[in-house]
Amino acid sequence: MNTAVPSSSDGKKDAGPRQPKKGSLRPSHWPFIIPALVVVGGVIVFPWIFTLWMSVNGWQIGVEQHFVGLTNYQRLLTDARFIDSMGRTLSYTALSVIAPLFLGTLAALIFNTKLPGRGILRGIFVMPMMATPVAIALVWTMMFHPQLGILNYLLSLVGIGPQEWVFHPATVIPSLVLVETWQWTPLVMLIVLGGLASLPAEPYESASLDGASGWQKFRFITFPMIIPFLLIATMIRTIDALKSFDIIYAITQGGPGTASETINLYLYSVAFTYYDVGYGSAIAVVFFILIIALSLLLIYLRQRTSWLLGDA
Amino acid sequence: MAAVQIADVRKTFGTTHVIRGVDVDIEDGEFVILVGPSGCGKSTLLRMIAGLESITSGEIRIGNRVVNDVPPKDRDIAMVFQNYALYPHMNVADNMAFSLKLKNAPKSEIETRINRAATILGLTELLDRYPRQLSGGQRQRVAMGRAIVRDPQVFLFDEPLSNLDAKLRVSMRAEIKDLHQRLKTTTVYVTHDQIEAMTMAEKIVVMHDGIVEQIGAPLELYDHPANLFVACFIGSPSMNVLKGRVELGEFITAGGVRLPLEKTPPSALGKPAVYGVRPEHLKLSADGVPGKVLVIEPTGSETQVVVEVDGQPITCLLRERVAIQRGDTISVRADPALVHLFDAETGKRLTD
Repeated sequence: MNTAVPSSSDGKKDAGPRQPKKGSLRPSHWPFIIPALVVVGGVIVFPWIFTLWMSVNGWQIGVEQHFVGLTNYQRLLTDARFIDSMGRTLSYTALSVIAPLFLGTLAALIFNTKLPGRGILRGIFVMPMMATPVAIALVWTMMFHPQLGILNYLLSLVGIGPQEWVFHPATVIPSLVLVETWQWTPLVMLIVLGGLASLPAEPYESASLDGASGWQKFRFITFPMIIPFLLIATMIRTIDALKSFDIIYAITQGGPGTASETINLYLYSVAFTYYDVGYGSAIAVVFFILIIALSLLLIYLRQRTSWLLGDA
Repeated sequence: MAAVQIADVRKTFGTTHVIRGVDVDIEDGEFVILVGPSGCGKSTLLRMIAGLESITSGEIRIGNRVVNDVPPKDRDIAMVFQNYALYPHMNVADNMAFSLKLKNAPKSEIETRINRAATILGLTELLDRYPRQLSGGQRQRVAMGRAIVRDPQVFLFDEPLSNLDAKLRVSMRAEIKDLHQRLKTTTVYVTHDQIEAMTMAEKIVVMHDGIVEQIGAPLELYDHPANLFVACFIGSPSMNVLKGRVELGEFITAGGVRLPLEKTPPSALGKPAVYGVRPEHLKLSADGVPGKVLVIEPTGSETQVVVEVDGQPITCLLRERVAIQRGDTISVRADPALVHLFDAETGKRLTD
């Protein structure tokens, strides 16, 4: 795209229109991007460099700040609480990506049929997405209550004994994933539903003639064609689940013990409870690298499945 | 291969009658084209043969079997769609193999059939490409390849060339015709383009408003259109028509211009009628009807001249190059033996 106009600094009268090189920027254009550069520099680049700087410093309350090199990073390698929280983060993320993805796709397939009253049902279905995390946490904490919660009552109806949900180390992660799934399945549903709506009708007619059954149409046509959308949903969900903080903090504060302490919660404790800002920054840097690496992997996969980006 | 019989088929969507009683007999191995303006029901009829639309009433037979309630996959037909309907996530070979894989055909057979189809269509080099990496013409060939590998009883084509540019359309036309001559599979082809219909079909079915206007060989429709609709629809540029009445040995237009007739159909005598003459049947002649030249369009091989006769524009197609200019007055004359007469009320051809 060429948006440059001949500027007066040329001084020459050209016989024909000149095509400036793609991406070239003349000095006269600089003033226009300075505001954007200032904002990006101030709110993104500077905090990042500052975090990196803090992570190579001893930076605690009451102690004078001093350069420590990679000491903070070395400490991470032997910090069992960090390594545990890393494992918890990954399992929490994996579960809270897979469950909404599966249920959301299923819901999208259902809402994509000519279901009576589907407009209203769809509206109700997406409501959890709009609720605020603290309100969700309050409601679910009440529902999780071993004696008073509705979940154990519902289980009792089908003959299953009471569970301790978020109050037991073994069940706390799956219980939190349940909340995450409840809240974010609608988002996946919306993305996949958009994908389904964009699929061309002809390949299905063609498949009917080719002899495909309903399941075969899904398996060989629908599913491969919505993979790009599933990957987008996976990407959004992965980043969201990795960063998840509010709901976990509001329901369990990382407990019982440290059974639900993900990197984010550990980072919070280190930086704002123990005031070890330098070490906390090192955790943040490692965490950031993890998120970037996973995102790049997903972007790569997304590009590999770019058949829908072509005009075929 | 099989014959296809369509007997008194009707289709309604709610209160809209899309097909209003159509009868067509398609012989085994025949190339039939359904042609008509947009909304005439030709595509709906094709989709009913395919089983993609239900049949409100009537009967469709493929071979000896009534297929009204047979699902598309069991009708043993293959269809080529206007938008090709290729599977975007499969390469050319997989696109063609899909139907065979669903039938659990042995691998060696799938390969043989794909290679055969690819050779016929010149796709051998493209087998591992994806649809988005192909040009429109190549995609259309893949769509045909997908139909060929199935070795069906009937090929159905739904405006397959509409998305191609003009030049490619001409070459694909020849390719499809050639393909039919080699494979001899019964083919039903839908188009709105009467040139496609004229050049490719063995038999043309002209449809209009959900009914069949005329069925016949291309030149039969051209030379003896059964009614005014077919007369005007078939042929490009289309037939010139003048309103007036028939008298003994001549036709008198509304404006009083007298045009000679070779024969006077006795039943038409004195009645209001429509006089039709094809542009190429008009010649420059000193004893013709004078008219003012409105437009001159030379194409090189011929010259199209629009002349105002009796207040109406009349198109003449002249083989010779003529030195005339806009605004000149020239005299044109129709060969009386090649004139068509139609009933002014019903539009039906007045036979002699």
